[in-house]
Amino acid sequence: MTEEGKYSKAADLSEELREHLGSLILVLADNKRLLGMRYSDWILGAPALEAGIACSAMAQDEWGHGRIFYAMLREFGQDPNQLEHGRESPEYRSSELLDGPAAGWTDLLALNLLLDSALSVQFEAMAESRFEPVHYKVSKLLDEERFHFEHGRGWVARLGSTESGREAMQGAFAPVWEACVRWFGPDDDEVARALCDGGITDKDAAGLRARWLERVAPVVESVGLGLAEEDGGAWRSRTEPAWEGWDPDVRRGRGGGPDADTLVRVRGDKNRPLLMD
Amino acid sequence: MADGDRLWEVFARRKRADHFEHIGCVEAPNPDLGRVYAWQTYDEAKWFEMIVAPRDAFHPVNRAEQPFTLHPSAEALT
Repeated sequence: MTEEGKYSKAADLSEELREHLGSLILVLADNKRLLGMRYSDWILGAPALEAGIACSAMAQDEWGHGRIFYAMLREFGQDPNQLEHGRESPEYRSSELLDGPAAGWTDLLALNLLLDSALSVQFEAMAESRFEPVHYKVSKLLDEERFHFEHGRGWVARLGSTESGREAMQGAFAPVWEACVRWFGPDDDEVARALCDGGITDKDAAGLRARWLERVAPVVESVGLGLAEEDGGAWRSRTEPAWEGWDPDVRRGRGGGPDADTLVRVRGDKNRPLLMD
Repeated sequence: MADGDRLWEVFARRKRADHFEHIGCVEAPNPDLGRVYAWQTYDEAKWFEMIVAPRDAFHPVNRAEQPFTLHPSAEALT
C-alpha cells in the first residue's frame, strides 16, 4: 500500500481482499462480455437503423470493457487467454439473463436499462477505489455507459407512450427486474461488506441496490410499469429478491451458464486456429 | 420514418476553437434517443462537443424551402 492508502497492484492487497476483488472483476468481465453479445444480436433487425447502430456501438463498448478487466485479472494470478477462450459454460459468472439471446426488442431493452445499469452501479462504486488499476479505468467506462443508460431511458419513454408498448415492456421487464434486484446479493453479503470496508468499493450490497433503484426506478415508473414505488423519498422494489438457489460466488440465481451457441461465439471457437498468443 | 420520429440535425466540433460543423442527421422520437443515436452514429472523430436540434426548429431565412433539403422541387414550401 502507498502512503495515501492506495493499492497500486493486486499484490499489495490482503489475501482476503485480493480474492474478493479478483472474483468481482471476473463477474463483471463475464457480464460485460455476454451483454456485448446480446447487444450484437440486434445490430441487424433492430426497430430502427439508428437503434441497430446503437447496438453495435454498445456491443463494442461492452467487449472493450470486458477485455480490459480480463487483462487485469493477470495480476490476480489468472490467465486472461484461458478465461476468454478456454472455459466451459458453468465456469462463467455472467447473469442467467444473458445465457441466450433476448427474445424480443423489449427483452433487450430490459437488459439495456436494468442489467447494464446494475453493472455500471457496481463499477461506479469503484470510481474512487483504493485499488488504483480499477480506479483509473472506471471513469472512461462510465462516460460510455452514460449513453447506454440514455438509450434505455429513451426507448422506455418511446414505448411507454402507447398501451401496447407498455404491456410489452411489463412482460419483458418483470423477470429482468427480479434478477437485477437480486444481483447485488443479500443486504448482509460478507464479500460486498469486506470490499466496502477495505475501500475497494464505496457501498455494500444494500447500498448498491439502493443506488441502482434510484437510477432505474424513476425511469420504469415514469411509464407506470409497477415494478417499484417511492417510500419516504427512497425507491424500493415491489418484489423482494428470491434467494433460493442464489450462488454468491457466481452471482447467479440458478446453475448452468451460457447456452451452447452463445458459448461457441463468446469463446471465439471458430477463430481458434487464428489465436496467435 | 416511424410514427412519432423526428429528424434531429447533428452538429459537432473537434476543438473548442473550431466552429460547429453540420455533420448529419438521425431519426429519433425524443431528445434522449436523438442524442444517443447522434453520438453513436457519428463517432468518426473524437469530438470536443456535439449538439443536436430538431430539424423543425430551423427556419429558412433566404430560401423558400425547408432547411437541409436536398431536392427542393420535391419538398418546396410553396
